[in-house]
Amino acid sequence: MNKLIESWEMIAEIQWVIFIILCILVFSSTAWFIWHRLKPGKLVKELQVRTRSWWIMCACFILTTVAHPIITHVGLAFLSFALLREMYPLLKLDSRERNVVLLCYAVIPVQYTLAYLGMTTLFLAFIPVFMFVVIPFVLVTRGETEGIVRSISLMPYSLVAWVYGMSHLALLFQLPEIPGFTAGPQGLLLYLIFLVGINDVLQFAWGKTLGQHAVLPRVSPNKTWEGLIGGVLSTTLIAVSLRFLTPLEPWQAALTGCCVAVAGFMGDAIASGMKRDIGIKNSGNAIPGHGGYLDRLDGFSAAAAPFFHLIYFFGVTSAG
Amino acid sequence: MTQDHIDAELFQAHVPNGRRWLLWLLYKVFWRTVFGLVIGLRYVRGAKTHPDGPVIYISNHNSHLDAMSLMTIVPSHRIHLTHSVAAQDFFGTSGFRKWSMQNLVNAVLISRTKDGRDVDPIKLLDAMLQAGHSLILFPEGTRGVPGLMADFKRGVGHLASRHPGIPVIPVYLDGLYRNLPKGRTMIVPFGGTLVLGEALYFKDESINEITDATQRAIEKMARDIKNENKLPHSKR
Repeated sequence: MNKLIESWEMIAEIQWVIFIILCILVFSSTAWFIWHRLKPGKLVKELQVRTRSWWIMCACFILTTVAHPIITHVGLAFLSFALLREMYPLLKLDSRERNVVLLCYAVIPVQYTLAYLGMTTLFLAFIPVFMFVVIPFVLVTRGETEGIVRSISLMPYSLVAWVYGMSHLALLFQLPEIPGFTAGPQGLLLYLIFLVGINDVLQFAWGKTLGQHAVLPRVSPNKTWEGLIGGVLSTTLIAVSLRFLTPLEPWQAALTGCCVAVAGFMGDAIASGMKRDIGIKNSGNAIPGHGGYLDRLDGFSAAAAPFFHLIYFFGVTSAG
Repeated sequence: MTQDHIDAELFQAHVPNGRRWLLWLLYKVFWRTVFGLVIGLRYVRGAKTHPDGPVIYISNHNSHLDAMSLMTIVPSHRIHLTHSVAAQDFFGTSGFRKWSMQNLVNAVLISRTKDGRDVDPIKLLDAMLQAGHSLILFPEGTRGVPGLMADFKRGVGHLASRHPGIPVIPVYLDGLYRNLPKGRTMIVPFGGTLVLGEALYFKDESINEITDATQRAIEKMARDIKNENKLPHSKR
């Protein structure tokens, strides 16, 4: 009976955050609907398309998170795969490096299997230590050296940025038992998804309403100091108030929220720089109103590993 | 031009029921999933509804995946009535290839050269359209250089001018050649785009006019999709 109550409590925390997400979505959809009725315009139309996509993304994220861990792992692995698949043709890694690209795709299931089996040391070393040598070597064995420096740099980078980073979300399932912490890995996953998502939305909102001074005018004119600071501060506040999903103290949650917001911004800026160099607006068209997978997931993949390590440090290491 | 008599005897219109279900499963379930989840093909559809009845699909051609992707956009109830037109000299070389082209791709094999053929391909395709079937044509004639469109052969003009009621649907395929280039057998996912154009209706245009109009339609779709994601005022 005691066990039953415990498992119910775990569900209750996740139910709460799902309820909050639904409230936000319903509120913004209604607000845009009324705004569109009163004063139709280009901005509100864009907001409506974006919110519709948020509904679908939230549904996918929540369903894969609360499902069996295997489904969560497969879902995260698919996101890594979608990122690589979207970026390789843009990075012009398609005609000659086909076999190595296939090898990079094959790294994804291995990495997530290591996470699922709890082989943490190998998981942490597999891409940045082993694949970091294996992939350049396989490129060299082709015997053609023209343009090889470019491929040697890009392929390990793509794996670290979009597979290694994202796969730390799967590693949340391997955290040791933390006394007094009931929300579980699903709670932590939803916490990060919520923070990065709301951080993007808030930086966009603050930037649209107050934005004056661009942070990186030549990389991404839409990112302003006002948006960045407003976004980081409000995300920090939200991180503290959603603390029930984590084992963190208030100040620890504040620091985590601040780090996630800054990392999300940095990932966003890096992706913007890459897109500008390639000469495209969006990395793809998979998500209406947002662009491609990278446009939406750049923040997640940058924030995932720092988030895991902060949780591990505060929840496990420093708690002793 | 002189309207040739259409010889309906040339084509047996009956498709076995088993093949119909097989094709539906293959293209509407299996290939649709592969294109959507593995290859990451993006489908861009026009606002208009797909015309019912026989149509001629035409598309640029760079990969063996082209015919597969076109079969996935054919309406379910017409999938067994839609045939890719393929080259006999390439696909008819072995018994297995021939069998699979007929049963798994629902293709019709025609001869590209004049010597040694017993039936004029245009007449055969005429009879198929007459019997209410749809055709998938690659008017470039062969899988050309990726990104460069070859001039269209006039087969589509011949067919459309003889069947003025049948619409021509232009389809632009971008990026499938990366997933399965010429001369390779392994599919490596790289994404791609399929643009389904508006149906074109022709009345009494000449064969050359029709051929040019279809080529221009596909070239315009190619330009539009290229410019859609370009950064404005890019310094490069």
